[in-house]
Amino acid sequence: MNHTSIADDAALAASRAAAPPGTVAGIRERADPRAVLADRVDQLYGQMWLGILTTFAIGAIATFEFWEMRLRELVLFWWGLVLVITAASGGLLYAYRRSGPRVADPEQWLRWLGIAALANGANWGFAGAVFFPSHTDEQQVFLAFLLAGMMSGGIPVYAASWPIFALYAAGIVAPFTYVLATFGNRLFTEIALLVPLFYAINVAIAYRLTQVFHSGYRLRHAYGRLTEDYSMLNQRLERQLVELDQARRQVEASGRKLELFAERAPIAVLEMDAQGAITEVNNAAELLFGYTAAELVGRDVRFLVRAEFHDEFDMRWKRMISSHAPEAGLIRNPRRDGMDVICDWTFTPLVNPEGTIIAVLAQGRDVTAQREAERVKKEFTSTLSHELRTPLTSIIGSLQLINTGVAGELAKDIGELTVVAERNGQRLLDLINDLLDMEKIESGKLTLSPDVIVLNEVVREAMVLNKAFGERFHVRFELASPLPGQTVVADRKRVLQIMTNLLSNAAKFSPEGGAVEIRMEEAGRDVRVEVQDRGPGIPEAFRSRIFGRFAQADSTASRQKGGTGLGLAICKRLVEMMSGRIGFQDRPGGGTIFWFELPRG
Amino acid sequence: MPERPLNRICYVEDDEDIQRIVRMSLERVGKMTVEVVGDPTMALEAMTSFKPDLVMLDWMMPKMDGPAVFRQMKLRPDTSHLPVVFITAKAAQRDLDELAKMGAAGTISKPFSPKDLPDQLREIWKKLP
Repeated sequence: MNHTSIADDAALAASRAAAPPGTVAGIRERADPRAVLADRVDQLYGQMWLGILTTFAIGAIATFEFWEMRLRELVLFWWGLVLVITAASGGLLYAYRRSGPRVADPEQWLRWLGIAALANGANWGFAGAVFFPSHTDEQQVFLAFLLAGMMSGGIPVYAASWPIFALYAAGIVAPFTYVLATFGNRLFTEIALLVPLFYAINVAIAYRLTQVFHSGYRLRHAYGRLTEDYSMLNQRLERQLVELDQARRQVEASGRKLELFAERAPIAVLEMDAQGAITEVNNAAELLFGYTAAELVGRDVRFLVRAEFHDEFDMRWKRMISSHAPEAGLIRNPRRDGMDVICDWTFTPLVNPEGTIIAVLAQGRDVTAQREAERVKKEFTSTLSHELRTPLTSIIGSLQLINTGVAGELAKDIGELTVVAERNGQRLLDLINDLLDMEKIESGKLTLSPDVIVLNEVVREAMVLNKAFGERFHVRFELASPLPGQTVVADRKRVLQIMTNLLSNAAKFSPEGGAVEIRMEEAGRDVRVEVQDRGPGIPEAFRSRIFGRFAQADSTASRQKGGTGLGLAICKRLVEMMSGRIGFQDRPGGGTIFWFELPRG
Repeated sequence: MPERPLNRICYVEDDEDIQRIVRMSLERVGKMTVEVVGDPTMALEAMTSFKPDLVMLDWMMPKMDGPAVFRQMKLRPDTSHLPVVFITAKAAQRDLDELAKMGAAGTISKPFSPKDLPDQLREIWKKLP
């Protein structure tokens, strides 16, 4: 719809530019010249049947009249010409009526008509020229009368196109005038001089009539256009009224929605003027501060800001007023009961199109409880790391000392029990460490210290550190393909942690007396480390969540062998934090290959 | 590397259980001589009289924490030269960096293994200038 209306506008604008509206000339200019021409052609063809009939009838009478006398063959020939011209004209008329849209190629139809008219006129001229000299005086009068009648009769018939009339009349007059002039009779010579004058007058009349027709048609078209424009404008106006009404309803609805939203919102909403005087508050704000709306409206907003923050508040308020940009931040707000709440505020200036601030909207969310929760969580994490680890240090330390025998030899049963106690104490410590690591990673607090490290050395160190663990399961670690000197960019301690996880997993699941193979190879821009075991493999159902948290294929196995189910999840996150990749695949011949890749240093 | 082997350790720690474990670890496993100080405010006096080769400081203690003891040691000529190893449960890299900047000889993170503690200390001792 918009497209057409734009096009309409363009057309209107163009026509307005062409001529001033309201004047007749201006209106006429709007008519399409082709449409006007087509109308004129239509007019000509519309009364063509009259000309055909007249030609036929008068031709018949004339033939009858000339028949009595000499030159019968010539009369017969002429009558034949009349019939041919009549038939051809009839055919032309028929063709025109059958043709498609009348506007299509009006010039061509006009040319055909011109040819028909010229032929017709020339035939009458031929009659005049041939029969006039050979007939009696009475018949000559008849002939002159006939020709004069045919010529003047042509005026109304061809009035819509004076050149056609001029052709037609010239066809009649020219041969006849020649015959008159060369007849040798003084009177006839004088008439021959008058005939062109007579012809000229007739053409002038036809010209005048053509002008009248032309102007009439142009006006008709122009008014047609005007009416179209008018009704189009009317339609557009109606459409715009409907749109305007819809828009008004929408604005009303969204205004109501906004009002409801502000009123029922759980966040405090204050409206102020540009000086900071409160003009409106919502329910949540009343509840938050403990003041009623009536008590707050009219007060300066700083009434709700602790005095020690006034300087900063004023600075940011001024910045907002001058920049028109929203300001956001935490503010400590005093309540009626003397307590403080900490709110996360957004102050947004409402600016009208002229650039004036008409109001300032403030939205505040009470984050006191949230901040308290964050503090408690932080404290809890810190407690977990210190207060839980300290007693565990004593427990594990004591058991270790006992188990090393420094406190004396133990009875066999007691010795076995203290080993169990030490192992499980260690497991508890591992779990706490894993939980803390996970918490740090997920809260984004874990920072790495990447460095260029020799991967071979770190891998060997990990093998040494985990040797004792492997011996517990009667599994040994073998470095199958070392890469001496190859460096990577990674956090040394964290690579050790990843290796420890992979080695201890491999040891746990390897058959007794078996070996875990460690392979290293260059993989494009990375270095790849593989830990290959001959264990039972990863069950199909477990594969998708193996790197998830608390992932364990078989809980009985974990109870027997230890492990928190967090190890691989931590490994995956650590490797990814070091821009590496981690994964696993089945080992040909049975078992599993866990691998990770780290960027080369 | 100092010429003589590591022998005398002064350990400042408020937790009695850990005191006992460390003492046993260093004396029995490491065959060293240990002076344990439970009250950090008394630490400097104890060092002056005990004359240790190396001082071990717990990081978190009531009244006065390890770094505070360390700073006081730096102010006294008879303790400022002593190598200091911190024992800490706060293993954050930021803290370790801070300790290194303060001139600590090393750190041992809690929980430590009493079996390995003497060796860990000797490793640090070997790397001293």
